[in-house]
Amino acid sequence: MSVQPHFNGSAVPHDWAGRYYHIDQILNAPGPRTDPAFLAGDEVKDFLRNQVKILVIGAGGLGCEILANLALTGFKDIHVIDMDTIDISNLNRQFLFRQKDVGKSKATIAAEFIMKRVPGVKVTPYHGKIQDKDDDYYMQFNIIICGLDSVEARRWINATLVNLVDPENPESLKPLIDGGFKGQARVILPTITSCYECSLDMLNKPTAFPICTIANTPRLPEHCIEWASVLEWPRIHGDKKLDTDDPEHITWLYKAAAARAHEFNIEGVNWSLTQGVVKNIIPAIASTNAIIAASCCNEAFKIATSSAAYLNNYFMLIGTDGVYSYTFEHEKRDDCPVCGGEALDLSISSNTTVEQLIEMLVEKQDIQIKKPSLSTPTKQIYLQAPPQLEEATRPNLSKKILELVPAGGEITVTASTLPFSLSLRINYT
Amino acid sequence: MIKIWSMKKNEDAAAKKKPKTSAAQIRVQKDLTELDLPATMKTHFSDPADLLNFSLTITPDEGMYRGGAFVFSFAINANYPHEPPKVKCTQKIYHPNVDLEGNVCLNILREDWKPVLNLNSIMVGLQYLFLEPNADDPLNKEAAMEMSKNRDVFLQHVKQSMRGGSVKGIQYDSVIAR
Amino acid sequence: MADSKDIESATTAIILDGIVPDSRTRRYDRQLRLWAASGQSALEHSRILVLSSSATSSSILKNLVLPGIGHFTILDKSIVTPEDAGNNFFLEGPDSIGKSRAEETVHFLAELNEGVDGRADTRELRELLNDPKGAAEWLGTYTIVIAHNLDNGLLEKLSTLLWEDESLPPLVVVHSAGFLAEFAIQFHEHTIIESHLESSPSLRIDKAFPALRDYALSLDFQNMDPTDHSHIPYVVILVRVLEEWRNTHNGLPPQTYPEKQAFKAKISSMKRKFDEENVEEAESQAYRCWTTSAVPSEISALLSDPRLSQPALSLPPFFRLLKALKKFTERHDILPLTSTLPDMKANTEEYVKLQRMYKNRAAEEKAEIREILVEDGGAEGVDDVLIDQFVKNAHRLKILNGRKWGTLEKEKDGERIINALESSPKQAATHFGLSALQRVLSKRGNTNQSQRQGQLQPPKITIEELTAEAQALLPSGASLPETEWNEVAGELVRAPTADLPNSAAFLGGLVAQEVIKMITKQYVPVDGICVIDLIETWTGVI
Repeated sequence: MSVQPHFNGSAVPHDWAGRYYHIDQILNAPGPRTDPAFLAGDEVKDFLRNQVKILVIGAGGLGCEILANLALTGFKDIHVIDMDTIDISNLNRQFLFRQKDVGKSKATIAAEFIMKRVPGVKVTPYHGKIQDKDDDYYMQFNIIICGLDSVEARRWINATLVNLVDPENPESLKPLIDGGFKGQARVILPTITSCYECSLDMLNKPTAFPICTIANTPRLPEHCIEWASVLEWPRIHGDKKLDTDDPEHITWLYKAAAARAHEFNIEGVNWSLTQGVVKNIIPAIASTNAIIAASCCNEAFKIATSSAAYLNNYFMLIGTDGVYSYTFEHEKRDDCPVCGGEALDLSISSNTTVEQLIEMLVEKQDIQIKKPSLSTPTKQIYLQAPPQLEEATRPNLSKKILELVPAGGEITVTASTLPFSLSLRINYT
Repeated sequence: MIKIWSMKKNEDAAAKKKPKTSAAQIRVQKDLTELDLPATMKTHFSDPADLLNFSLTITPDEGMYRGGAFVFSFAINANYPHEPPKVKCTQKIYHPNVDLEGNVCLNILREDWKPVLNLNSIMVGLQYLFLEPNADDPLNKEAAMEMSKNRDVFLQHVKQSMRGGSVKGIQYDSVIAR
Repeated sequence: MADSKDIESATTAIILDGIVPDSRTRRYDRQLRLWAASGQSALEHSRILVLSSSATSSSILKNLVLPGIGHFTILDKSIVTPEDAGNNFFLEGPDSIGKSRAEETVHFLAELNEGVDGRADTRELRELLNDPKGAAEWLGTYTIVIAHNLDNGLLEKLSTLLWEDESLPPLVVVHSAGFLAEFAIQFHEHTIIESHLESSPSLRIDKAFPALRDYALSLDFQNMDPTDHSHIPYVVILVRVLEEWRNTHNGLPPQTYPEKQAFKAKISSMKRKFDEENVEEAESQAYRCWTTSAVPSEISALLSDPRLSQPALSLPPFFRLLKALKKFTERHDILPLTSTLPDMKANTEEYVKLQRMYKNRAAEEKAEIREILVEDGGAEGVDDVLIDQFVKNAHRLKILNGRKWGTLEKEKDGERIINALESSPKQAATHFGLSALQRVLSKRGNTNQSQRQGQLQPPKITIEELTAEAQALLPSGASLPETEWNEVAGELVRAPTADLPNSAAFLGGLVAQEVIKMITKQYVPVDGICVIDLIETWTGVI
């Protein structure tokens, strides 16, 4: 044995000779499709291994794979957020977890596993919600990879990163790589390329059945299950919230649905289908996760090192009939509520009142806003309608803007004449 | 490092922190301030600072529900407009498309919801239910049956229930507009 | 995606105590929803052989061990090097250096799933293949064999051995270098009942079976109460309107465009109010009246297989059933009815009634298939479950005819190569680049063995060398597409032996997915050579 490293918990462990034999073939020389700005050799290796800080959101099906790939690729400062605990149904694909881990924090167990398996990699877990963290937290990372199944969470992180972009600070632009376990991987450069919100209409909407069908003319086992969860649960249990992770709740729903199905001569209600319908379960296997996670990490590697061109900007894989994939550029939307619309820097006198600002906006030739409504992220300033809100916000008209918005603060303007909204950054002269 | 990072670090710019308005919030502001409601519909905000929870009162000026004031609660979550708002009738009313728990059978509230629709479309849809109740897709089966079989009896039941009377042993809330 | 029926059979079969699924079912819940109990059982009975325990090989195995294959063997006599320890997640970093690579990776892979049996085999493939008879016997104990970056000479030998005896398992050949990769499956023939293809079976509206027709004609649409009227299933409306149309059109369905419009107008005129949903559904489904329920051309093609004239008993079950299906279609000019009725606007009673009619009729036709099977003497060993699956999927059966690995290059006229180079130059250039690279590396042999631990240097290969090797693979008159070739060749000489963690993980997922399709005989595996470029991130099939 030539070089045997010793770790003893030291912060920067020594790599063993030959460790990066494979990766270094890429980092030692450019290829034909490598950006000329790529600096082959020690500098890029040092950046990748000692400077980059990367955040992984989600330690589930995609997250486990992402963490393992990043660690092997040479990212050494990895953070991971997940609010979930481990369930037995995770074990068929979330390969950092074992039977004994059921019930524990996904982020914590995943981080421990990676650090044990791949020496010298530091993984910092956070067991909680992404919404718990503020802009300063997200600001510390160079790249963010998302392996989430929640539309809401992805919209949140996407909007957060778009909002983080400060034109005067290049460091504020954080590439977001988003993996979807239905088989998509994409690269989002906030404010530069299309963002998650731009493509929201590509999502399949969740199946919902007409409520009158559920109530009166059930035909499918799913109708009986929806009846149990949408109508019968609240009727019997009042305000008690349905917890779809609680097997007892699912069993209750199953029994209610089965009784109803029996009454209507409908076949096919069982426990598993009940769980599938109420949790909106999408089938998932290790292999699809592996492909998407690998593709996300590969983009992170190429972006961090410039060693090869990166995905522009959407990759979709459909694996039921042969291997079919589609790579395309998803277009940015001008009327995207998050990255579209305009942002204006506005310098006004500290004496300007809300009413005066509204007049300014209406008179401004280049934007031509009619009846603008104004708010800050925390409160309404002036709303044109409905009457009650107009009345409630009317006293603000005579107030100085300065009383409502701090210097550098933002005002969101909506109006029927705007495609979506206009964002004003206020400064005082 | 790809080019977007090749520029210099700017330490102090990172210090400024701004809370942000969520896409859902902006969209609700847009929807609400652009509402185009007839005199028969009115919104009410118990907390004017909270745009996500409010009620809508419908006072039909024609049809068999004329003279009533029907109150619906709206609850909008952070996933709006990807998800529709949750709308319930806050009173116990006798209507073929509203059940006794306040659930409403309106397609755009569930299976036909699309993000291009807005709060105005929902409100107009709700009002339509009072002008043209639909007996074919009922939530209150008794009421629907009555409506299609004995229209006169149904009308009588509607009047009775709106005054807070009971129909077939079920006591309804008084909804007479003041 | 599995339909609700599949989920049902998947789970009811496994539930042991009470109604809540046991822990094993819960563990596999998300995949049972894809391939049901039958697919899971096939996986659990499979035995996989993987040649080498490279990062890519280990990744492939990971995605097979997790869903629960029965057994895997890793054949690898090498010792873990510092280079291996750096890119394989199923080694424990420096602690594994110097140990048997097969034993170490088997150990860490087996940890993923207690239900899977793993074995390390440290013999050498080269020696095993020197005894073809013994090798064939040994290989015959596996369900499928997977080879990643295997020496070209050995690969030729192995693929020939496996090809020559049809009873020997399929071979998955995987090649990768840096950001580029390809794989293909060598097999003779692959039959699929549960293809999960999205084509939907005929509802037989144009050829309504007696119970359906009688029912549609018995209803008094005119005097029906409005609520009942708005809940007549569209299937019934269509059967009825078509019958009435035929009575006034010499027994023919609508044929010309104006006729079809008139037919739709006839349906629309039934509406009692402007938005009667069931009538609207009938209008939008009216095409079912003039789309003849005949045997689809893809299925007719399968039925013309010359083997079907052989005695049933000499055929495997799939072909016996196909033979019975052929006889059925000759009698009825139609595929057997499936019992699955899509959801449609209707009240419960009407829908359940209609569903029952379809179920009963489907059962009758299935019984006929079974009778034919018995008459043919082919019923032995074909159970009811199989007949049921077969009939249910008769409209989407699939037979793939495979090829031997490497035959593309050996075709005499080379027409397919020339086509591929022209129509998909990127994919073709990548394929020839990887093939050429394997040949160059195989010629160099294992010169790296003498290097000091951890001081391994990647081999220096020139673009000229690679180009010459690639050109030798082309038929005369064909040439490499210049731009695409330069991009591929430049990338390959940059990283000729790099088994990158991300590329390995990507291939691990893709190859495992195809292997699962082969083992479960569900979904349709890739037919051809699958080429992968992880710079622009695309996949393609030649």
